[in-house]
Amino acid sequence: MENPGGSSLPAFLELQRTRVLCKADAPTHTEGFQYSGAFAAMGVDTSVSVEKFCSNFKIEINRLTEEDMEFDMIGVDASIANAFRRILISEVPTMAIEKVFMVDNTSVIADEVLSHRLGLIPLDADPRLFEYISDDVPNERNTIVYKLHVSCEKGSQRLTVKSGQLEWLPEGSQLTMASPAQSGDNQRTYTSFGQSQQNTSERPLGVKYKDITIARLGPGQAIELEAHAVKGVGKVHAKWSPVATAWYRMLPEVVLLKEIKDGDAEELVKKCPVNVFDIEDLGNGKKRAVVAKPRACTLCRECVRPTDDQVELRRVRDHFIFTIESTGALPPEVLFTEAVKILEEKCERVISELS
Amino acid sequence: MEHGSLTDSSASTFSIMEEDHTLANSVRFVLNQDPRVAFCGYSIPHPADNKVNIRVQTTGDPAKDVMKDALQDLMVMGQHVRGTFDKAVADFKSKMPAEQMDVDVNQQ
Amino acid sequence: MPPATSAPDAPVAEGDAEAPPVPTYRSLAAPVSNPVDKFALLPAFLKVRGLVKEHIDSFNYFITKGIKNIVRANNRIEARSDPGIYLEYKNIYIGEPSVQVDFRVETITPHFCRLTDRTYSAPVIVDVEYTVGKTHTQHRKPSFTIGYMPIMLRSYACVLNGKDEAELARYGECPLDPGGYFIVKGAEKVILIQEQLSKNRIIIDTDNKGRVIASVTSSTHEVKSKTVICMEKEKIYLQLNQFTKAIPIIVVMKAMGIETDQEVVQMVGRDPRYADLLYLSIQECATERIYTQQQALQYMDDKVTYAGAGNIKDGRSKLILRDVFIAHVPVNNGNFQPKCIYTAVMLRRMLDAILNSDTFDDKDYVGNKRLELSGQLVSLLFEDLFKTMNTYAVDRMNKNSDMARSSPLDFSQLIMQQDVITSGLERAISTGNWDIKRFKMHRKGVSQVLSRLSYMASLGYMTRITPQFEKTRKTSGPRALQPSQWGMLCPCDTPEGEACGLTKNLALMTHVTTDQEEGPLRNLCFSLGVEDLSLLSGEEIHAPGSFLVMFNGLILGKHRQPQKFANNMRTFRRSGKIGEFVSVFVNEKQHCIHIASDGGRVCRPLIIADKGRARVKEHHMKELRDGIRSFDDFLRDGLIEYLDVNEENNALIALYEHVDQDGVQRSSITHIEIEPMTLLGVVAGLIPYPHHNQSPRNTYQCAMGKQAMGNIAYNQLFRADSLLYLLVYAQRPLLTTKTIELVGYDKLGAGQNATVAVMSYSGYDIEDAIVMNKSSLDRGFGRCIAMKKYTVTSEKYGDGISDRIAKPQRNKDGVLIKQNMRV
Repeated sequence: MENPGGSSLPAFLELQRTRVLCKADAPTHTEGFQYSGAFAAMGVDTSVSVEKFCSNFKIEINRLTEEDMEFDMIGVDASIANAFRRILISEVPTMAIEKVFMVDNTSVIADEVLSHRLGLIPLDADPRLFEYISDDVPNERNTIVYKLHVSCEKGSQRLTVKSGQLEWLPEGSQLTMASPAQSGDNQRTYTSFGQSQQNTSERPLGVKYKDITIARLGPGQAIELEAHAVKGVGKVHAKWSPVATAWYRMLPEVVLLKEIKDGDAEELVKKCPVNVFDIEDLGNGKKRAVVAKPRACTLCRECVRPTDDQVELRRVRDHFIFTIESTGALPPEVLFTEAVKILEEKCERVISELS
Repeated sequence: MEHGSLTDSSASTFSIMEEDHTLANSVRFVLNQDPRVAFCGYSIPHPADNKVNIRVQTTGDPAKDVMKDALQDLMVMGQHVRGTFDKAVADFKSKMPAEQMDVDVNQQ
Repeated sequence: MPPATSAPDAPVAEGDAEAPPVPTYRSLAAPVSNPVDKFALLPAFLKVRGLVKEHIDSFNYFITKGIKNIVRANNRIEARSDPGIYLEYKNIYIGEPSVQVDFRVETITPHFCRLTDRTYSAPVIVDVEYTVGKTHTQHRKPSFTIGYMPIMLRSYACVLNGKDEAELARYGECPLDPGGYFIVKGAEKVILIQEQLSKNRIIIDTDNKGRVIASVTSSTHEVKSKTVICMEKEKIYLQLNQFTKAIPIIVVMKAMGIETDQEVVQMVGRDPRYADLLYLSIQECATERIYTQQQALQYMDDKVTYAGAGNIKDGRSKLILRDVFIAHVPVNNGNFQPKCIYTAVMLRRMLDAILNSDTFDDKDYVGNKRLELSGQLVSLLFEDLFKTMNTYAVDRMNKNSDMARSSPLDFSQLIMQQDVITSGLERAISTGNWDIKRFKMHRKGVSQVLSRLSYMASLGYMTRITPQFEKTRKTSGPRALQPSQWGMLCPCDTPEGEACGLTKNLALMTHVTTDQEEGPLRNLCFSLGVEDLSLLSGEEIHAPGSFLVMFNGLILGKHRQPQKFANNMRTFRRSGKIGEFVSVFVNEKQHCIHIASDGGRVCRPLIIADKGRARVKEHHMKELRDGIRSFDDFLRDGLIEYLDVNEENNALIALYEHVDQDGVQRSSITHIEIEPMTLLGVVAGLIPYPHHNQSPRNTYQCAMGKQAMGNIAYNQLFRADSLLYLLVYAQRPLLTTKTIELVGYDKLGAGQNATVAVMSYSGYDIEDAIVMNKSSLDRGFGRCIAMKKYTVTSEKYGDGISDRIAKPQRNKDGVLIKQNMRV
């Protein structure tokens, strides 16, 4: 690590400050130095001002697909990285089925279990196009309506109901509330859509994956229902979580404390189940162990067992390998941006509350 | 909500509703980087309560101002993270060969 | 009978084709290189016998044999006034489970009974012959229903017997349900296995005053009595509740016709030590001046408690000696000799115990216990009710003939009083109160409602054994784990608290025997060289080297070559010529051979080994895997046999063929366990790696395993239990034990596999509290359904008006319309 403060800390303190050591029995120096003036007496400023942060912060993307991404976030404290992770899991909004209007359910699955299963189906709808529902009035800006009507013919084979059979109703609910008092009245449905949702987004607001099993029907059984999806966040219920999960790990650093040769080298290579080590051929039959793939290290600690005097396992304290697995409503890179935005909004809210 | 004393503005506890470790721990980190802060820490009084208490004690400056500065810093850091990230994504996508550009179907 | 060639039936005959070559020192010392995997025998066993085989077997025995024996013993009733008016039962059998609706007979299925609160019962049908009127014209009436009997599920009389999975599904029945219980008024009732001390066996023990006693509880179809011989102040007395005072035993012997003291001593045994112990008793008899049978009987007559009508005591004691004293020993034509010998043997055993305290019997020893199963209990109940019904019929007939009515009744009309048997059986099974005055039986809680909390709970119920003693006693003896329980009763599965160690559970492979016919076995014994006692003098009985042969507690005779006799008997058993559950036990200490064929003994199958080499070879197992060979073939071919607890004492059983035990010579091993894990019961079998746990942990898990929520049965959604807890996403355990697969627990899982972190979280997880991940719960972890039954009667009022069940009606604002409807 660079130290723009000029004078630097002694090597062992610098190691303690920037690395977590993973010994055979337990990790050490896990807590770090929180206080900015911890080394002020030695004339070393370890504090992270905004400017320092901005100059040191780096992001390197390793993988990016429609569903998931992995990137390295360098130069950031665990508290900040963790805030991003927590927001991704529980505070980035998505759409999910919240209300189910059961017309008919003669399947073996109970209504409440069926509703729960429907709720967990990821929807292909951009939550940014919708509002949170308020006052329990469903309209085209806060609710997506789906219909499921399947039945299994008597005498036929058993039927599997898949998520693809959910049908999007852009015009809103088709179910009428209790029969109108006068015959002339307009039939009231469970939604009050002002206009069609047809043009809300470029794609139809269907489900993300069409092959999720919802239920199985035996001959003579049927399911008829209408499902209303609304916007929500993961901390209310995991079905609104936009990620399957999001996690990070600190960058592993594997250091050979001394030269490991020949038989020992081969033994070390064999020990590691994820092949962190490799053998370098020194010619005339001599071999030496080298660290080839430190990132693969899972911290199983096989290599430091029984003695940890030849290999040291470390973690870089401010380097995070961050992984996001999206459930599909938004691509992972958008999710991350949204998460950071939410953190900013939180700050803004508290600032305005304090003013 | 701020719990402080009338005479001494250098020490306060900020009781923030509807927040948790996400904000509190980040703010605590930022506060700790500020040389004006003598002490800071946070706690969640009960896991069932949806609130967090952040304690700030300064070397003299009003705790509220230091707190606001910290939040402001955090926002700036967030903006920087977003900028860096977006740039990294754009770079990554531009480096990818065209046939692998199935990343964002939304924009096609 | 299988061809003799396929039956290697001689453990002693060594030159047999099937038997291994004559072992040399080298071949014996060599380790068994490839142990045969015998696990496949276990599923084969369970396939043949089912999980609750003992219940079903015992009920099957009752409805096929027991009930016929009862009726044969009481087959004729006749009017007092005119013996020409009679009724004779020619045959009895159980029909198909059915119900009578408006004189129409409709067959019923168990599930129909559960849902409609009916009793799953079948008609008890008799063929009768009776006379009508003054002319005594003989009539025969076949298929005459005298009552309905609740039917055990999956017994021979049950519609589910022998049905495959598809057929069971059509009946609305779960194929994994083991059966073995009754359905009475819609409730599933299990008759628990009752544990009691063996009947008709001599038990030498000390009473609470420290006196040595020899007691026998006699039980025959007619009488039940308890005879106690005890030693007080070095003198020996007989205690019988028909006598006010204890009677000196020498007086009893004299009363039975052994008048000379010499004969008494000879019968007990000529060892001078016995004579020393008997000396005071003999002297006491002499001081009472009793020398003849007459004097002895007179002496005893004075001590009779209840003199009967007219206060005539004369001759009572002889009747008591004949009918009550060791009642199971028969007295034929006034020949008291068998009783004398039996008494002498009791005395001898008692004196043995005084001389050598090792020979005391242990009441807690499983070999001295008998398990009473539903078949036997229902049989007692039926016998009582059948007799009651007949007495009623005779009473009515007598009353009727006294009144000299014009139209004479006949018995067939009188035994139509079907209610006696039907309601009697139904009441007893549904309340669990077995009050049978005729047999002095007053038991409560014999039957219990089958717990349907989980599949495991139901299975656990079927293997439970309840004790006969009161639970309040702070005794430790009967609660302790008995070494003889090995393989028979589960060492882990017992409740905590007051019933700890008293309530037990059967192990996985345990079988409980049912009665077997005695006549042929008795004849076989005689033809194998047992000398009849009536031909022997007292002196000869105890001749050194010869053993007494006891058959179901009776003295059959003696044999001069006991080991040879035992081997012969076993050979016959292994070749299937006598029942596989007959036990042959050579008791070296008592110089006795016990042959037992009575019901209620616990036994289990073991692989027979010749000099430590299992008879079951790889090719046998291959045949089993290929489906050519069944478990019964293993039995028939003499590869496997059942041993009861007593006979296990004559065997040396190795856990594994290939593992040598320290200090055990391979050549002395006679049997090999089929699979050591079967020493545990069904519930303890769920525990993975139980041998790595502290022992009480296994016991706790046995109590808790039944509480796991999950799936109850395949038909769970069609059941109408009052309360039903179901897990939505029940899982099979990641770590499955063999037992789990055998009992079908992997098909009816309970519980879910959780990922657990053991760590602290600020005190919200103290002791066994846990902190759960909210998103797991959101995603369906531990989600369950509770179903409750609400009963409503829908009435029909005629004119097409009837009650209807409907959802509450609301107006368009969602307000309930009808005031009397509430949500």
